[in-house]
Amino acid sequence: MAASKKVITREEWEKKLNDVKIRKEDMNKLVMNFLVTEGFVEAAEKFRKESGTEHIDLATITDRMAVKKAVQSGNVEDAIEKVNDLNPEILDTNPQLYFHLQQQRLIELIRNGKIEEALEFAQEELAPRGEENQSFLEDLERTVALLAFEDVSNCPVGELLDISQRLKTASEVNAAILTSQSHEKDPKLPSLLKMLIWAQNQLDEKAAYPHIKDLSSAKLEDPVI
Amino acid sequence: MMSVSNCKKKIEDMKNEDLALYFLQQQIGSNDDDSSVDSSVPTELNTINSSGGFAVVSRDKLSVKYTNVNLHGHDVGVIQSNNPAPTNTMIYYFEIFVKDAGAKGHISIGFTSNNFKMRRQPGWEPNSCGYHGDDGLLYCGHAKGEPFGPTYTSGDIVGAGINYAQRLFFFTKNAQLVGTAYKDNTMNPPLFPTIAVHSLNEEVHVNFGQKPFTFDLKEFEAQERMKQQVKIEEIPLPPNLSYGIVRSYLLHYGYEDTLDSFDMASRSTVPPICIAQENGIDEQEITYALNHRKTLRQLIRDGEIDTAFGKLREWYPQIVEDNTSATCFLLHSQKFIELVRVGALEEAVRYGRTELSTFFGLPVFQDLVKDCVALLAYERPLESSVGYLLKDSQREVVADTVNAMILSTNPNMKESKNCLHSYLERLLRQLTACCLERRSLSGDQGEAFQLQRVLSAGKRA
Repeated sequence: MAASKKVITREEWEKKLNDVKIRKEDMNKLVMNFLVTEGFVEAAEKFRKESGTEHIDLATITDRMAVKKAVQSGNVEDAIEKVNDLNPEILDTNPQLYFHLQQQRLIELIRNGKIEEALEFAQEELAPRGEENQSFLEDLERTVALLAFEDVSNCPVGELLDISQRLKTASEVNAAILTSQSHEKDPKLPSLLKMLIWAQNQLDEKAAYPHIKDLSSAKLEDPVI
Repeated sequence: MMSVSNCKKKIEDMKNEDLALYFLQQQIGSNDDDSSVDSSVPTELNTINSSGGFAVVSRDKLSVKYTNVNLHGHDVGVIQSNNPAPTNTMIYYFEIFVKDAGAKGHISIGFTSNNFKMRRQPGWEPNSCGYHGDDGLLYCGHAKGEPFGPTYTSGDIVGAGINYAQRLFFFTKNAQLVGTAYKDNTMNPPLFPTIAVHSLNEEVHVNFGQKPFTFDLKEFEAQERMKQQVKIEEIPLPPNLSYGIVRSYLLHYGYEDTLDSFDMASRSTVPPICIAQENGIDEQEITYALNHRKTLRQLIRDGEIDTAFGKLREWYPQIVEDNTSATCFLLHSQKFIELVRVGALEEAVRYGRTELSTFFGLPVFQDLVKDCVALLAYERPLESSVGYLLKDSQREVVADTVNAMILSTNPNMKESKNCLHSYLERLLRQLTACCLERRSLSGDQGEAFQLQRVLSAGKRA
């Protein structure tokens, strides 16, 4: 079927690209949406001033970012308190999130060498929750296994101590807060970029035309015929 | 002063070089409301092109009854809708209610093409497709059906639809999806919703959407969209790609304060976001004159056009030396608009006479000149049809033009048209062009891509 593919030259394609109307306003909104959802409070405020693009109440981002930052820097207790200040329902209605936060707290205790405190916390706070839910129990056991190793950096569950575990928990909290505020939890820009890759693949079935392969440089390449 | 004809010629000459004209042309037409609605959707049964004699269509053209005794396969009572199914939506759908299955229940629902043989059941002939009530079979272009779903009879509500996104036909019975059938390349629009009756007293009522459907079409459509979205979301992206694109956008348009905050915040996250610097040359291209660009944008956004002119003369005299250039024109017209805004109408008139009148009668400029002058006619210009000129977005257009012109003075800029579009805009153009081209190569079927819809989608009420 390759023979029947329509070939669109660079010149023709550039003409089509030129005919597309993209409103500046829409691009500004897209950028604002990114800044707000990703929590760039100050940048969002500056962008409002510099571009005249409106945004939602920034106070809610500030609170949300404070929670995220607390988890990212290992202050889980602080984070839990802040989430409850924002809206106690978030953790009440989301046992999995609450468990993951407690698990993170346990990880931080182990990281800081507070073995006794960690054991007490695991038995009193986490074990009862594990009984309610098999997957919680498995997570708990994996976490407690950290205590069994002198050199945790080389143990099979060592990844729990990795920074990525904090980030995972932080992004889970972030998403839950956004959902509770009826905001979207993901910015639109990455979806549009994915849609671009998808749309190019789709059009490949029908035509040979200039692609943008490297999205980061937005460079138009000559059609491969 | 130049004569008009000289000036006209000059404009023609510049057309290829004056980047600023681009912004002017973009603006023309952007205020046109192109919400033309295609009105030719199916609304009733077509009584002209139907197999007259075998069946009777009711007065409201929304039901049909077979009033004969059927004798053979060529006396089917087939009725198409008055208009073909619209192709500019993701999904088209209609329903029938079987009032009476008559003697044999030879009822069918489906889609047929323009030149369908109007004495045959939909599905029996090429370029047609139908779900039959008596055997529950699906017929797609052959007299031989395939097992498909349950039979249907008196009291049932049956629906037929086209899912353009998936290139499928789908059928429903009593609000449940029965199944789908591949819509192959021979089944191209125009396709007509079609129903058929073929034994004594069979009676069918059709609903083209004038009444609510029993099938939850909204939910179905939402699910179909979700399916597609899930597939798209699975596509991996290089890390921090979005950050890089946002950053280059801020650089491109000279939003320097935002950029500084953004950079500072990116550095302080855990872990810091590092944006790939492999395209260092491009980076240089867009950091060029950042502070000047920011200052000028600020001035224009604040309505300080005289000061902006002054700064441009000082920093980039080449941009404003030709008083007939599109950039100068946009700045002059903005100055005029700012005077109107503060109510200095007399001054505006004077300014218009000295600075804008030269542009009258020049094709690329005259629309904007006319609109500017029209501002004077209204007591409350903001509420008039030219009120758009008083909005922030007009200042933004002028600021964007000046920004692009400054970028174009960069001696390292390889291609001047790179000044026009940020990376983000190039990507969005590519996305739109791909979607539109694909749609046009598929016979214009399915929903046309609209960035605005994507942007407003997912907002909760």
